[in-house]
Amino acid sequence: MVQLLGGELNSKGIDLRKALSRIKRSIWVYHINTGSCNGCDIEILDVLTPYFDVERFGIKLVASPRHADLALLTGPITIKTFSKVYRALNAMPRPRFVLAIGSCAVGGNIWFESYSTLGGFPKALEMFSEMGLEIDGVVYVPGCPARPEAIIYGAATLLGLQKPKTRYRRFKA
Amino acid sequence: MSSAIANSIQLLMEVSSIISKVIEFNEKVFGIEQRNGIVRIKIHRDVLPYVAQKLATTKGIYMRTMMASDERDLEGVYRLYYLFGIDREHINIVLEVAVPQEDPKVPTIVDIIKAADWYELEAHDMLGIEFIDRRLYRLVLPEDWPEKVYPLRKEYSVQDLMKLYRPKAVEYAKEIGAENIVVIPIGPYHPALHEPEFFEVYVSGERVIDAKYVGFMVHRGIEKLGENMKYDQVPFLAERICGICGFVHSTSYCQAVESALNTDVPERAQFIRSIILEIERIHSHLLWFGVALHLLGYDTGFMHSWRIREQVMVLAELLTGSRKTYGINVVGGVRRDIDNDKIRKAIEVLKNVEDEFKKLVEISINIPQVIARLKGTGVLPLGEAIALSLVGPTARGSGLDRDVRRDYPYAAYRYISFRVPTYSEGDNLARTLVRVDEVFESINMLYQLLDKVPSGEIRVESWTVEPYRLGVGSVEAPRGEVIHVLLTGRYSPYRWRVRAPTYQNLPAVSIMLKGVDLADVPLTIASIDPCFSCTDRAIVIDIGRSVIKTIPIEFLSLKGSKAIR
Repeated sequence: MVQLLGGELNSKGIDLRKALSRIKRSIWVYHINTGSCNGCDIEILDVLTPYFDVERFGIKLVASPRHADLALLTGPITIKTFSKVYRALNAMPRPRFVLAIGSCAVGGNIWFESYSTLGGFPKALEMFSEMGLEIDGVVYVPGCPARPEAIIYGAATLLGLQKPKTRYRRFKA
Repeated sequence: MSSAIANSIQLLMEVSSIISKVIEFNEKVFGIEQRNGIVRIKIHRDVLPYVAQKLATTKGIYMRTMMASDERDLEGVYRLYYLFGIDREHINIVLEVAVPQEDPKVPTIVDIIKAADWYELEAHDMLGIEFIDRRLYRLVLPEDWPEKVYPLRKEYSVQDLMKLYRPKAVEYAKEIGAENIVVIPIGPYHPALHEPEFFEVYVSGERVIDAKYVGFMVHRGIEKLGENMKYDQVPFLAERICGICGFVHSTSYCQAVESALNTDVPERAQFIRSIILEIERIHSHLLWFGVALHLLGYDTGFMHSWRIREQVMVLAELLTGSRKTYGINVVGGVRRDIDNDKIRKAIEVLKNVEDEFKKLVEISINIPQVIARLKGTGVLPLGEAIALSLVGPTARGSGLDRDVRRDYPYAAYRYISFRVPTYSEGDNLARTLVRVDEVFESINMLYQLLDKVPSGEIRVESWTVEPYRLGVGSVEAPRGEVIHVLLTGRYSPYRWRVRAPTYQNLPAVSIMLKGVDLADVPLTIASIDPCFSCTDRAIVIDIGRSVIKTIPIEFLSLKGSKAIR
């Protein structure tokens, strides 16, 4: 589901709707592994290779966060990678979107109460907002690992081509 | 019954020569017992270096893993279990060293066995055990982790640890003072290896002088979590250690419990485990082959390899119900059966994969640029491979013939015949060819396995737990041997130690990298097929020194291909 953060006009005066219409053409993605088991990461690669082939939609993997519209974030965010994730996301141009892929990124999965992970992207998001890093939109793609079809569906949801399947509701553990 | 006795006599004879060497330290050896192919030798900590020296200098013995365990509530000591394996004899030797809690000091064995380096550092970080006469630094935990807090000690619960430490985002901006030598940091994020890792490569001009691994970012505290879970819950946790070779870990864990409790697994379950393990190996090797070609700048080969691989993923889904993270292992068997219809379909898919992969290999390996980049780069001599106790295709590419499927038979591998491909060149080409051969060998093994699946139960009805028994489970993963050591507790594992192949193989990378061109660095790193999520499951390293610039590793590599053209 798309969660647009910060309303239509956010604090820096960027019109999100306008910005979104701009990225509709072709999105460039940057892949961040935040301590994932590789399961979702190989499914992301699977999406890019001939069987699913998202490059036909203009979705392209880029090497630097500075070139990216969308970050493909996998993993429960370990304490060691947290500062790296912060800097990678900080380097992305606005509007910056995140596709949180896999159960780990969505809610921590089996690591959600481990001492060395944050337990999913929502918890990192809280810390980012404390630190003044704004994320313009998040799409959560559950699954362990997320199926390639689900990842494509998530990207389509972000672009507004598909309606999200569920409502957004946060549960507190 | 008689065969069991004959077996154990034979085992004892093979071990006796080793024990006779230990017996020289008579009063410092407290006892030797032997059960299920595990010889446990209790020794005093003072004689550890001498015994380790005896074992290390015997041909064919290598260090497999080391487990440090907090047994203060049982016997008031910490205990270290050094696990050595004898190639081809199917025997594990466990040296047990008790460390008193008031004075947790042990002599180091790093100078004797290079492979022990990380094990000791990890024990120091996680349990606070001091190793004498070596440099100890923080390997496992972040720099700003509170002093004197050791996560694997029993007095800390996961909730306590979460209260004690939460990360802060730190901006690292320290410069490294280097004059003639340039430091090129690679990672922690780059698109080629898809995992957070970090190599510092020291270069002079285009030539690599030295390389240092400072990764360990995928620390998720798995061993601590496992101590709070029931026996039947842990396989699901173990499977999530790695998303590529996850089934290997859950099988290995189940085998460790089964060996500790003497549970007999039904034959049909063993066949199903072997079948899934081989399917996992095929998809993993196809994945690696693709990534390796991608690193050479040959993207067509990458795409083809992944296209072929997709069929294997669909096959895995057919047999287990899931593309990855199958979740069908339980202690004492498997949860899901396969039928004749599925076997027939599986054979069809495998035939197709075999044909297509044969074509791909014929084309891609014969391209002059590919050969030029692979041949003679990243050389690892046999001597180094033995000294570092390497495992898997990395060792077999250097002529070290070591394969758990043959040396310590498990699951259904004792019922089929197969060949272990070995190449002696030790370069990137050798390691590639080992993996290519293994794909065909795996397909061949699958034909045999699918043909022979016996009928019967797929899991044991029930099993009872006896606390404080030691179990060892090892499996040949696509990347080398995975070994789980387990001490049973009443309701959940008392201590569970996971050792993944990359943990053993990574120190070899800095040897391979010395003297190669900068352009060959990415491929050489990838040539051990590193799997960092397995390795880092209980570890994090210091990264304070790093000036992090993300250099796209493939750009480095593409430069090399252009030079050849």
